[in-house]
Amino acid sequence: MIHSEVINVEENTPTVKTIYFEWKQEAKPGQFIMAWVPGTGEIPISLSSTDTIKSITVKSYGPASDAITKLTKGSRIFFRGPYGRPFSTVRGPTLLVGGGSGMASLRPLITNETDAIVSARSSAELLFSEKITGGELFKVTDDGSAGIRGNPIDALSTIDLRKYKMTYVCGPEIMLKKVYDFLNSRKIKAEFAMERLMKCGIGVCDSCSVDGFQLCRDGSIFSIEELRGMTEFGRTRLTESGKRVFLNY
Amino acid sequence: MNRLNTQISDIRLDNPFILASGILDENGYTMKRVLDEGAAAVVTKSIGISERSGYHTPVVVEIDGRNMINAIGLANPGIDNFGEELKIAKESLKPVIGSVFGSTAEEFALLSKKMEAYGASAIELNLSCPHVKGFGQEVGSDPDLVESIVSEVKRSVKIPVFAKLSPNISDILEIAKAAEKADAYVLINTVKAMAIDIYARMPILSNSFGGLSGPCIKPVGIRYVYEVKRETGKEIIGVGGIRTGEDALEYIMAGASCVEIGTAVHSDGRDIFKKLSLETGKIMKAEKIESIGEIIGAAIRK
Repeated sequence: MIHSEVINVEENTPTVKTIYFEWKQEAKPGQFIMAWVPGTGEIPISLSSTDTIKSITVKSYGPASDAITKLTKGSRIFFRGPYGRPFSTVRGPTLLVGGGSGMASLRPLITNETDAIVSARSSAELLFSEKITGGELFKVTDDGSAGIRGNPIDALSTIDLRKYKMTYVCGPEIMLKKVYDFLNSRKIKAEFAMERLMKCGIGVCDSCSVDGFQLCRDGSIFSIEELRGMTEFGRTRLTESGKRVFLNY
Repeated sequence: MNRLNTQISDIRLDNPFILASGILDENGYTMKRVLDEGAAAVVTKSIGISERSGYHTPVVVEIDGRNMINAIGLANPGIDNFGEELKIAKESLKPVIGSVFGSTAEEFALLSKKMEAYGASAIELNLSCPHVKGFGQEVGSDPDLVESIVSEVKRSVKIPVFAKLSPNISDILEIAKAAEKADAYVLINTVKAMAIDIYARMPILSNSFGGLSGPCIKPVGIRYVYEVKRETGKEIIGVGGIRTGEDALEYIMAGASCVEIGTAVHSDGRDIFKKLSLETGKIMKAEKIESIGEIIGAAIRK
């Protein structure tokens, strides 16, 4: 395991925190680490900053993520990585489509030519919308407390997507599928960050596989072309035991 | 005939490389992809009677990028949920070997019958998982129990039965003898091991102990294959640390008819299967070896 010291903790929303630490290793947007809380557990988390100072952005959903949100300045953070195939970076205008904490892995892609659709349940949970300073920001909330009331498609359908060199998408798989369907029918160039249950992070345990591709190794970034024809994408996944279940719409 | 063709029991293999149990073999689509990408056969994840989530993470420790220690904890969906995955894997039209684990002869027999009904080409009995209480190695180190499990399973199914044995016992020949009704032995499972993080002052695996695999265990595997082949003459599937064509041929000359590949999928990716076939074929050609069959056990000194 690698270890480092937490140099700053930022509270982004009432439920999400960003933990900053120094790690000189080269890493690219879209890559992730396996963060270990000794005695509690280990979870995959995308890097939300990829410079010398790295960060992870975490929402508490279980014992390990909860313990990570409680780290403070000076705490030791344990992890291994970086893992995964990164987003491809392009020059020129880009669009981010982030759902919930999905904005975390998109954040390192932000430039002054980046437009973004930031969606969440409510206004308080919109993540990193303040980081969009150069380009146009479209807020979308389930409850209408900010921006458009609805889902990212409601924002996408108001934008001329042909002006972007790349559209980057990250969020819950159900959202990814909807956005994929929308973009695919319009032949838009896009990349998607997928999320699945992950145990080993090194391409052996088969927990995170989609159509025979391991998210931890072949992904977790897939191009729209790669997703085309995948039978498991947006449809089924395996649980911790390996039992196949349908995704809930 | 292709010089890489080989056979284990009545199963014909395009090449000697089989995906080992526990690696990329929980999801039917993954098994199918591994087969389509060059493996001659796959062994499924070990399946038991009921659903198990396995251990909490961390479940693996990487060592130097090539070796690893794992304690997944026999995570599996339960035999009744596994038929669909096997069916998907079988779309590749290559052999799928069903790995099963249990704690009694009756459980092993029931699981094997279901695997056979799902269309498995053979059964691999997990008598050797080193890190779960009441299963695997604990079952596999009791010669009487091993004998009754193998006998019961052999009576219950028509497909070949392979016994995967543990290196973590004092006398492997005693266990091999107890399992002699099996059609072949699978040697070896992982070597019981652990790793501690000194900065956390704690074992890394949530289960503390796990199974070591990768090139570092190859000499141990070679020795077991050689010794068991020399003493029993039975067919053997070699496993443990194979990453190159040379490694594979070493196992074959020690007595293996074919080999299983696991940890090299981590170090080299799924491409390892194509790479191994290519490398092995080249060496065989250069060494004027016309078939795998002619060199099985070639190194054994009586």
